[in-house]
Amino acid sequence: MTRATLILAVLAVVGCIVAAALHASPALLGAATVIACAAVAVAAGAAAVALHAPNDLTEPRHARGPTLDLAPLPEDVVSRRGVFNRMWGVTLGAFALLGVVPLLALQRWNDQRPQAWARGTRLVSPAGTPLRPTDLAVGGIETVFPEGKVDAPETAAVLIRLDEQHNVAYSKICTHAGCPVAIYRRVSQQLYCPCHQSVFDVTDGARPVSGPAPRPLPQLPLGTDAAGYLVAEGDFDAPVGPDTWWRTL
Amino acid sequence: MIVRRTARFFDDRFGTNAAVRFVLAKIYPDHWSFYLGEFALYAFILLVATGIWLTFVYQDAPDRAFDSVAALTRATPVGYLIRQVHHWSADVFVAAIVVHMGRIFFTAAYRAPREVNWVIGLTMLVLASLTGFTGYSLPNDALSGTGLRIADSVTESVPFVGGWVAEVFNGGAYPGPLLFPHLYTIHVYFLPVTIAALLSLHLGLLVYQKHTQFVRDPAHVVGRRFWPDYALRTLAAFAATVAVIVLLATLVEINPIAQYGPYHDWTVPNPATPDWYAAFLDGGLRLGPSTELRIFGHPIPPVFWPGVLLPTLAFAFLYTWPWIDRRWTHDEATQHDVLVPPSLAPRRVGVGVTLLAAAVVLTLAASDDQFAQALHMPVVAVVWFYRILFPFGSLLAGVAAATFARELAARRARYGRERERVVALVRNAQGGFDEREPETT
Repeated sequence: MTRATLILAVLAVVGCIVAAALHASPALLGAATVIACAAVAVAAGAAAVALHAPNDLTEPRHARGPTLDLAPLPEDVVSRRGVFNRMWGVTLGAFALLGVVPLLALQRWNDQRPQAWARGTRLVSPAGTPLRPTDLAVGGIETVFPEGKVDAPETAAVLIRLDEQHNVAYSKICTHAGCPVAIYRRVSQQLYCPCHQSVFDVTDGARPVSGPAPRPLPQLPLGTDAAGYLVAEGDFDAPVGPDTWWRTL
Repeated sequence: MIVRRTARFFDDRFGTNAAVRFVLAKIYPDHWSFYLGEFALYAFILLVATGIWLTFVYQDAPDRAFDSVAALTRATPVGYLIRQVHHWSADVFVAAIVVHMGRIFFTAAYRAPREVNWVIGLTMLVLASLTGFTGYSLPNDALSGTGLRIADSVTESVPFVGGWVAEVFNGGAYPGPLLFPHLYTIHVYFLPVTIAALLSLHLGLLVYQKHTQFVRDPAHVVGRRFWPDYALRTLAAFAATVAVIVLLATLVEINPIAQYGPYHDWTVPNPATPDWYAAFLDGGLRLGPSTELRIFGHPIPPVFWPGVLLPTLAFAFLYTWPWIDRRWTHDEATQHDVLVPPSLAPRRVGVGVTLLAAAVVLTLAASDDQFAQALHMPVVAVVWFYRILFPFGSLLAGVAAATFARELAARRARYGRERERVVALVRNAQGGFDEREPETT
């Protein structure tokens, strides 16, 4: 019986190799592997049961407690004050502190991102095309970037056409944990973050209405340039993304 | 013949046969729950085997990572299946560790002299979760990339050092040029090698201190001999683990990155939920407050409380649990080899079930949006439901479990541990019933 099951396992393994060589579907490969492993499991399990081996064999347990009496060493080796006095401890501590040196060498301050949005920067779609105030339908939405910096980190904004006259743009990076605020609910005029369900009211400066976001999405002041394209009137009105300990305002 | 000659070769040179005899003749206590840790061990072996293969095809440059994994998925059935098996093994690995830890906890196997192995095991749980997280982040797809961004925000929320740690890890601001090289090195080298070392120590201590058992014979290890009895059983456990994982990998597509697309900081799939072992953190973030404290002008972002403080406290509690338990039970003995059935320790059951229930609530909270959608409820209502359930539901579950354990123990004390009393009911002349002992055969 065990032999038959193991033969099945071998056949399944061979079958798996042949199937892989023939670029068979993953399902076939998986099935063959499952059969092979399951057959070994059954064979081994059945063989173990067939042994009828006792489950009450015993061997002595030895307590693993203290086995050594620390007898004092001879006086000529250890003086009364001890060889390893406090100064050795201080030295060891100093060497441990030395470990901080390579850690400090890891720091990289002065890694400020260049300001991406400035007065007069055109808003472009992910495809790089500039947008006019009337390009979106009322209630429409588009992800926009500073011209020439599509996909640059933390520059993405959502442009929403609220009504015939008004477009608004907010940072697309959530102030809670940095996820993209990717969903717009047109009926309630709210932006919704799929990660932790923060909801922002786009008619009220992207004020957080519910969820764990602590502050509004930064707003991008909008205008139009001489050619009639949408431009930023300046940078976002607040820092982009979640706050950190060192971000003091 | 070959085995015999090989054994003689090594025995002549190193005298290894004594050690081999020791291993083969060693006796292991046997109980179904003692195999739970083995499932984790075998999942880890499968992870290493499939992981080594994946290193030959993966490219760690952030702009190539997605394509290299997506191409692997498209190009060959073998590659697709190996990645499926790798990801499923990771989920099973962490799950097996948690269930194994539950067995250790509820039977009090962590008591002296085995506290060190509890600490090692708990550390492996943390490292396994980190390996899983760094691993599923490697394809740089829209879902995992957003997860990395969240992890970055949580790291930066730590007062004083958080920003520095995040900056070093990213090699600048997120997503810096060193993020993927760091993730890759940590995932394929630091974490698995550390886990392998701790695993060796874990098993070495298990052999050295000998396994615990339910049989009330503190002077002896009572169980099965390794060869051939236990060897066959553990082989069966190995093969069954692989069979189950490959079955899952074959039937259920996991982490379909082609559907998510590559990562940009302005796109994310909806719904967005991490792998199961990271979900309790995500759930915590969903239930957490929106208030931002300021200390001397420095913000404490809201993600700090559920993302950093809560898991730190939970794991600090788990790490110190053997010593808390020692105080609590006034059990200062240094040698415990006989396990305590959960029903005899209602308070321990209460604590364990409370912790488990709290973790389950947070895990479920990570899909609160899907739950709300399915029930046509506002997400805010579901959030408040979980916010109340997290403390009170967990405590209630713990108290209920402790009461249940106490009741079980009481019944056992009253009726004995064998089985229910069986009687035959016989109709009597008055129309009532008389009890009669059943005839024994």
